[in-house]
Amino acid sequence: MSEAAGDQAALEVVDLHKSFGDVEVIRGVSMSAHKGDVISILGASGSGKSTFLRCINLLEIPTSGDVFVAGEKIRMKTNNRGLYQPEDIHQVERLRARLGMVFQSFNLWSHMTVIENVIEAPVHVLKIPKDEAIEQAEALLRKVGIFERKDYYPAQLSGGQQQRVAIARGLAMNPAVMLFDEPTSALDPELVGEVLKVMRDLADEGRTMLVVTHEMGFARDVSSEVVFLHAGKVEEQGEPRQMFTNPNSDRFRQFLSRTMQ
Amino acid sequence: MGDAIVKFLETWSPIDVVLIAQNFDRFLWGALTTLELTILSLLIGGILSIPLAIIRAGNNKILNAPVWVFTYVFRGTPLLVQTYLIYYGLGQFEWIRETFLWGPVLSQAWYCALIAFSLNTAAYTAELLRGSIVNTSRGEIEAAKACGFGKAMRMRRIVLPSAFRRALPAYSNEVIFMLHGSVVASTITIQDLLGVGRWLNGRYYLAYEGFITAAVLYFIIVLAISRGFRLWEKHWLAHLYPLDAVKQKPKKGLASFRI
Repeated sequence: MSEAAGDQAALEVVDLHKSFGDVEVIRGVSMSAHKGDVISILGASGSGKSTFLRCINLLEIPTSGDVFVAGEKIRMKTNNRGLYQPEDIHQVERLRARLGMVFQSFNLWSHMTVIENVIEAPVHVLKIPKDEAIEQAEALLRKVGIFERKDYYPAQLSGGQQQRVAIARGLAMNPAVMLFDEPTSALDPELVGEVLKVMRDLADEGRTMLVVTHEMGFARDVSSEVVFLHAGKVEEQGEPRQMFTNPNSDRFRQFLSRTMQ
Repeated sequence: MGDAIVKFLETWSPIDVVLIAQNFDRFLWGALTTLELTILSLLIGGILSIPLAIIRAGNNKILNAPVWVFTYVFRGTPLLVQTYLIYYGLGQFEWIRETFLWGPVLSQAWYCALIAFSLNTAAYTAELLRGSIVNTSRGEIEAAKACGFGKAMRMRRIVLPSAFRRALPAYSNEVIFMLHGSVVASTITIQDLLGVGRWLNGRYYLAYEGFITAAVLYFIIVLAISRGFRLWEKHWLAHLYPLDAVKQKPKKGLASFRI
């Protein structure tokens, strides 16, 4: 847990809390992901799982708690109005660049073509030379199977294609951890498969991933660990097969029976 | 043959075409002055409007208030009044007449018009751009944050390029408005396109000849501007349309013309 830990986790979250006004959405969640871990975060809607993911890269500012990215702690302070805030926004930006994020609604930059979307951050954040970034981006677009659409604009692609571009955009930063925020929830059912396949390939490659999802099949078959959130707390967590065949908590059992019909 | 045409026109034409032809070079010079003033003020006003729009879209109250006052004053009063205030008004202050700017700049009608027009279009463009900036997709901004973009870089690489494109169709109206607004220059002694029409009217007591010629030339310029913007929009707004619409050829002819 310390900054000089020997067995360094790619990502470590310690006792994270998040309130919106009087409502406490995350009530003390800790989690750690080592290199190659694929952690699926499950939970009913309103359980706080998306908020938790967004607190990791500080798209939402947590109310308290610590986040370590590749052993480096995101330094936080309490300002004079009592608000918990990042101490150094530049550090936050640097560490965000180490966390690739894939959103439910893709959020590709609509005025840029596919290839421009993928090279944008490597060129302007990581300062990689443009031709090098293009070469790398083309390889990634091949990997997610969308190379032949590299000069299309996002609006000209299907949801599944857009999400695969978004994954390539995240990978282009060569992140320590990929964060997926319900990556298939906005897709038509017939497009879910192509995105899950790409994510499965990434898992097989040994990428470290945190996946907030409703895809039970993915959680059971692909992830190395499942975390079930309920009302802002970890209700149950463990090895997926074990959890799915033999759930410990009543709530997870109920959740499974509702979602696995 | 040429003589016959001239004779015919002199005798039968309801307007004095020969007089127009004789003074046509004046009209072209007038058009040039109009274009010069319009383009320069759009350029200066456009550049000014960018920081103003960013301030208006942000939530810094201290910066926001003066910019709000500026845009509302310049959008809330007629361009003619603004031009008069600068051209006739500034000269009333002795200390202004004593500055080094007075002789070469502020006492010159042309510069006064340029200043008034630039500030006026800056105010309109700033509000236009502000709306466009504010409407940038939150998700796209979040994606930029998540990739590690800082605030300035987000503005420069994501928000502004997207906002400029979305503002383009409305901005073409502002350009045409500025062109038409530039007739105000003719009221402070400048021989712009309308100024030449007024000169012809004053000299020969012929209203139609000068004003119709000016009107036709304005119209041609507006046609060119609209055409230009349509091509521009096709290029810069391609990302907003589905692929088949981009590939479709635009209809030809005046029927599809929009100003």
